[in-house]
Amino acid sequence: MTVLSAHNLTKHYGDTAALAGVDFAIGAGESVAIMGASGSGKTTLLHCLAGILTPDSGEVMFDVPGGDSVIVNLLGEGARSRLRRESFGFVFQQGLLVPELTVIENVALPLMLLGQTRQQAIGNARPWLVALGLQGFDARRLGQLSGGQVQRVAIARAQVTGASVVFADEPTGALDSATSDEVMTALIHSSTGRGRSLVVVTHNEDVAARCSRTVRLRDGVVLAQEVQA
Amino acid sequence: MKTLRLFRMLSHSQKADRATVLLPIVAFAVVTALLLIVLGGAFAFFTWTGSDAETYKFLAAVAIALLVVPLMTLGGSAARLSARRRDDRLSTLRLLGATPALVATLTVIESTVLAVVGAIAGIIAYAALVPAVQLIPFYGGELAGKMWLAPWVVVIVVFAVAALAALSAVVGLRGVIVTPLGVRTKQSAPRTHWIRLALGAVVIVAVFVAMKLLTAEAGTFVVVLVLGVGFGVTIAVLNLVGPFVLRRVAKRGARVAKTPARLLAARGILESPKAAWRQVSGVAMTSFIAVFAGVAIAVSDGAEGDGLFPDIRTGVVITLVASFLMVACSAGVNQASAILDRRDLYLSLDRLGMPTNTMDAARTRAVMSPLRWVTIGSALTAALVMLPLTGMALLKDPTSLLIIVACLLAGIAVVWLGLRATRPVLTRVLSEPEHAAI
Repeated sequence: MTVLSAHNLTKHYGDTAALAGVDFAIGAGESVAIMGASGSGKTTLLHCLAGILTPDSGEVMFDVPGGDSVIVNLLGEGARSRLRRESFGFVFQQGLLVPELTVIENVALPLMLLGQTRQQAIGNARPWLVALGLQGFDARRLGQLSGGQVQRVAIARAQVTGASVVFADEPTGALDSATSDEVMTALIHSSTGRGRSLVVVTHNEDVAARCSRTVRLRDGVVLAQEVQA
Repeated sequence: MKTLRLFRMLSHSQKADRATVLLPIVAFAVVTALLLIVLGGAFAFFTWTGSDAETYKFLAAVAIALLVVPLMTLGGSAARLSARRRDDRLSTLRLLGATPALVATLTVIESTVLAVVGAIAGIIAYAALVPAVQLIPFYGGELAGKMWLAPWVVVIVVFAVAALAALSAVVGLRGVIVTPLGVRTKQSAPRTHWIRLALGAVVIVAVFVAMKLLTAEAGTFVVVLVLGVGFGVTIAVLNLVGPFVLRRVAKRGARVAKTPARLLAARGILESPKAAWRQVSGVAMTSFIAVFAGVAIAVSDGAEGDGLFPDIRTGVVITLVASFLMVACSAGVNQASAILDRRDLYLSLDRLGMPTNTMDAARTRAVMSPLRWVTIGSALTAALVMLPLTGMALLKDPTSLLIIVACLLAGIAVVWLGLRATRPVLTRVLSEPEHAAI
C-alpha cells in the first residue's frame, strides 16, 4: 500500500530546474534510497516529499494513518509543520540534536511538541534508547557520545512519535564505513522493521544497497529505478 | 604578514553574511553612544557651582560607577560576539596547528577593527541624541549645552572601546587556545557551588544587623562607612550568589518543564549560569540601588535642599533606564548572534515541526527568567537590608517607591522588546534554508 507519492513534481531555483517532472512512490515498510550527483535534485525531492518545500507544480499525496489522504503541497505552513511533527521523522547528516539537552531529552522533545510533559515524554522515549542500544545514556550530553551514538540518538528522535515515514538526509555522511554500517542497520531495523517507510538521500552505494529500492536522479529527472535483489 | 593575509582571508569570507559583521558593530556603537552620553551628563554636573554642587558631583560619580558594570557587560557581549563568530573557524585553525599567538592576534585584530567602526557610528549617535537628552530638567535646567565633550575625551573613549574589545576577545577565546576540542564539542555543563549561597546568606544577615545597630549617635563617618561597606558587600554577594540561584532555578525548571520552550530555556541557562547572570547582572546593581535610594528619599523629609531629592529620584530613574537599555541591547545582540550561530539547529527544529513561536518562546524565556529573578531578587534584597526604613517609606511616601517599581517593570518590558526585535532574524533564517548545511 502506497503511503507517500509524488506526481510530476517540478521545482525551479531561478532559471535552474531542480526537479523537472519527478514521479515517486513509497509503500508501508519499504525503504527507498535517492541517489544522484550533487545538484541532481535529490535533497529538493526529499524536501518536497516532507512538506519542507512546496513544488512549483505537481502534487505530493500522503495517506494519514487512520484518516484520509492529504495533498501535502496544498496545505498551509502551519498544517505542513503539524504533519511533520505528527507523521514524519528526520535524521540529518550531522545529527543536529540540541546540544544543551541530555540524550533522553533530545529523544523526548518531539513528544513534548505533541503536548506531553517532560516526564511523560521521557517515559515514552526511554524504550527507544534501549532498543537502539543506548541504555544508561539518558543523562549523557551529546559531547560525550561518539558520532555513531549521536546518529542513533537522532534515529530514536525521528521515530519516537511513531512517524509513518522517516526521511534521512545523508545519515552516514560523517561516519566511517564500520559505523556507517552499524547506523544503517539501526535505521532500517527500527523503521521498516516496524512497518514504517524510509526515504534515504545518499551518495553512498553501500548505503543504497541496504534499501529495498534505489531511485537515481540526474538534472531533476528520474534516470532509473532499481529494486534490490 | 601571514597573520594579515589570514585576517584578510577570513574577513573576505564573511561578506556572505553581513549580519555577522553588522551585529558587533551595532553593539559597539550602542556602547560608545551610551558611554559618551553618560560621561557628557557627568561632565555637566562637574561644571556646576553652588551649595549642593559637591553632593551632585558625588552622586554623578556614583551613577557612573553603577553604569560601568552594564556598560562593560554590553561591551563584553559585543566583543565576545565578534570573537564567538570565529570560535569554530579559529578552533579549526588551532586543530590544524596554528599557534596560540596567531589565533589570539587574529581575534584581536578583527574585534578591534569592528570596535573602532562601531565606535565611530556611536559618536554620530551621541551627537544626534544629546540635544534630546539635555532637555531633562536637572538643577534648575542647567544641563542644556553642557553635555558636549571635548574631542580628546571622545578619542579616549574610542581607544577604550577598542581596548575593551581586544581584551574581551583574548579572554573569550582563551578556551579555544587552551582546549580547542572542548569548545567544539561542549562536553560538560559548568557547575556552581552551594557555598556561594551560604556565604551570601551570612553576609546579608551581617549587613542587616549592622543596619539595625546603626543609630544617629554613631556619627556621620561611621554612618557613611557602614552604609558604603554594606552597599558594596551586598552588591558583591549578589554577584557571588546570582549564578548559583539561577542554576538552581533552571535545574528545577528543566526537571518540571511542561513545554518544550520551558525545557529549552532552562537547559540554555544551565549551559552557563555565569553567562546568564553576566547578561543581566548590570540590572542587579541598579535595581538594588534604586530601591535603596527610593527608600532613603521616601523616609527623608526633603529638608536638605529643595531640588536635591527630586533630582536624586530623576537620577535614579535615568540610571535605571540606561542600565535596562544596555541589558536590552546586550540581550538582543547575544540572541541575534546565537540565532545566526545555530542556524542549522533552528532549521532542523523547524523541519521536526517545532513552531516558530516555540523557538521564540524558548530563547526569550532564557533571558527573561534570569532577568525577573535578578530584578526582583535585588530589589527585595535592598528592601530587606533597609527593612525598618522600607516599611516606613511605604507608609510615608509610597509614590517614590511606586515610581521605582514602575521603572523596574518598564525596564523588564524594554528588555523583552529588545528580544522581540530579534524575531525577524529567526524568521529570516527559517525562510532561507538554502544558506544552511542541511
